[in-house]
Amino acid sequence: MNGYAGCILRVDLTSGEIRKEKTDPAEMRKVIGGRAMNSMRLIRELKRDIDPLSPENLLILGVGPLTGSLLSASAYTTISGKSPLTGILGDSAAGGHLGPEIKQAGYDQIIITGRAKSPCYILIADEHVEIREASHFWGRDIWETTTAIRKALDDNAVQVAAIGPAGENLVKFATVACNNSRMFGRTGMGCLFGSKNLKAVVVRGTGRITMADPPGYLELCRELDQRILTHPEYERRKKLGSTLLMKALNGIGILPVNHFQEGLCKYVDQVSGERLAERYKTKNKACFNCNIHCSRYYMTPKTEGEGPEFETLCSYTSRIGNRDLEFALSMTSYLNRMGLDSLSSGETIGWAMECVQRGLLTSEDLDGMDFSWGNTRTIEQIVRRMVHREGLGDAFAEGTRSLARRFGKGTETYALQVKGLDMICGDPRGIKAFGLTYAIASRGADHLRAEPFFELTGRYEEAEKRFGTRDAGDRLSDNGKAALVEYTERQALLTDCLTMCKNIGLSMDIIDFDFAARLLAAGTGLKFTPERINEALRRNIIGERKLNIDFGVSPEEDTLPRRFTHEPLPEGPSSGTVVPIDRMVKEYYRIKGWDENGVPG
Amino acid sequence: MIVIDPAKCSGCRRCEVNCAFFHTGRVGRASSRIKVVKLEALGIDYPVVCRHCVERFCNRCPESAIEIGPLGQVLISPTLCTACGTCERLCPIGAIEMYGGIPHVCDLCGGEPRCVAQCTMGAITFAPAASGTVSLKPFREKARGATTEARRVCFALAETQVLRETWIAERGRS
Repeated sequence: MNGYAGCILRVDLTSGEIRKEKTDPAEMRKVIGGRAMNSMRLIRELKRDIDPLSPENLLILGVGPLTGSLLSASAYTTISGKSPLTGILGDSAAGGHLGPEIKQAGYDQIIITGRAKSPCYILIADEHVEIREASHFWGRDIWETTTAIRKALDDNAVQVAAIGPAGENLVKFATVACNNSRMFGRTGMGCLFGSKNLKAVVVRGTGRITMADPPGYLELCRELDQRILTHPEYERRKKLGSTLLMKALNGIGILPVNHFQEGLCKYVDQVSGERLAERYKTKNKACFNCNIHCSRYYMTPKTEGEGPEFETLCSYTSRIGNRDLEFALSMTSYLNRMGLDSLSSGETIGWAMECVQRGLLTSEDLDGMDFSWGNTRTIEQIVRRMVHREGLGDAFAEGTRSLARRFGKGTETYALQVKGLDMICGDPRGIKAFGLTYAIASRGADHLRAEPFFELTGRYEEAEKRFGTRDAGDRLSDNGKAALVEYTERQALLTDCLTMCKNIGLSMDIIDFDFAARLLAAGTGLKFTPERINEALRRNIIGERKLNIDFGVSPEEDTLPRRFTHEPLPEGPSSGTVVPIDRMVKEYYRIKGWDENGVPG
Repeated sequence: MIVIDPAKCSGCRRCEVNCAFFHTGRVGRASSRIKVVKLEALGIDYPVVCRHCVERFCNRCPESAIEIGPLGQVLISPTLCTACGTCERLCPIGAIEMYGGIPHVCDLCGGEPRCVAQCTMGAITFAPAASGTVSLKPFREKARGATTEARRVCFALAETQVLRETWIAERGRS
């Protein structure tokens, strides 16, 4: 096949059976690749009512037809399954260098089922696939594990997707990591690895990726490179990566401070991306074939590593009242080693701190720890306890929704989550389309399902043209936002299917449906057109929606935490306004052609 | 020859991608003539490519299939080469590797290296005058018995030692 590797791998860890199937081009035209390909697999094969931690759950690693190709930033792998954190659709994508290696080894998708009797890892070296003993790696952190596996195989070039102690201990928001610090962070895919006694998936591929029309594909890739290199945000993104958002969001008053009680951070200059770059950055880092190189390597007197991205930086600074950047970097290293999601772990801490501030909880409720804002000793202690499920950490390891239900007493109001997934770091009161995204996203409070970055770019003419109203380009307006989100939701899924970076494909608005169709056609030789692509994207968005309905999601859950719908921010450029979420969700259903309960026809 | 500045290299592997695509129309590390060694635990990325060494270790080809081109590049005669793999074993830094019965080594794309053109970090430059100035003797002993990948790692570590030391000396500066 062209584009696609042509093979789907199935590994059952209970029986040890390894099977290979041919990738079906007719099917691929309907799902393209990446997330949609994985979701479709879940829709077809997953028993809906199972416990996510049971052997029946599917754990799927998927890449796409353009992964690992000449296309810039075609680096992403999506890991999917029923989420142990939310109980609904779970998936998480990461860049790094794993995806291209899976393709070079000859696979489009790896479907893992069952549960191994003892800790194991899956070794994939081209056509050779083997389940190997991993007891000697169990208990080791991600960085040690990666190094140890490469050493054991005497091959530094193998790509390793591994979990750390958090995944082993079934922390519900444990991550999987590749290249040490590229995180499959959300919805607890690391916990799924742990539940299957799977320490790592290790891949070495010596094959090549073939395109149907190499000269045509080359030309398209170069055109895309020009779009990237001449983009007005190029230099800034190259220097700071996503950490530029610390000051950018603070500038419009939506940087979460003390658990979203405020949107302006007085000490932002102490914890900003600029500060990080100036003082701790040693050099740029990049995912496979990227020309922005937005990631960074940092070194402090105490630690070093790759990252952090904005969400981690904010989660461990202003969101929980910490103004010590070096401490945040130490936590970044620790979270990456242990395999713990920074957003969800950060939310549990922010929740506890706010509950203490409001007198809803006392230190007696919290193992005697002092949860005052920015208390680094407590932050360090509770994260350690979460990873190892010690004492109170055991309850925290279940995620904020479950944690707040357990404590009750009104603390549920301050659990900032949607459908069990914790809020990202961008206050929706000042970015209304993002608010709608968090409410309707098929994996919970998440921006990446639609990332309507457009509303921040001030392109009013373009807004009128694309979405029928200039208001769609005004971040504070809710008008036209359902149309915007309906559009960017498809664009986001498209980016996921092309396994391209969202920063480039979506936030920088580089990829449109027409261009994607040309890329896919030149890459695969299949008859991809903008119409067919959109049909595939729409079908999959409906598929994910129906899957979640099967999992028991109700329309009442298409909403935001009360804070964002009833309490305006006290000061700054986004003060005095809330998200009229009910109205926006209704409008979104209407545009989709779904009924008043959000059920597709 | 191709000159590498590891302080600038982000490890994106655009050089590999474009090398393989230019030579074969396909993409895969195995068919690239420049290979990035990634040492995540040290923050090091280092593209290993032919150094045009003083010793020309590979030139002891039993079939005399290797000659040195006008730019100092290694040229392998496809008619004389028997794919015995001697050149791969002789290169102390893993810059030549067999793939599909063909020894893969940098040929400078005939004078217009694609890796240089596509490196948006400016970490790879083309310096024709530097050809024949580097000795790889110190790596010869270390290379014995090591895999080709391990030799690349060993070379990358040595070439970035000073950089690491600078980082460590300056950590948490200002």
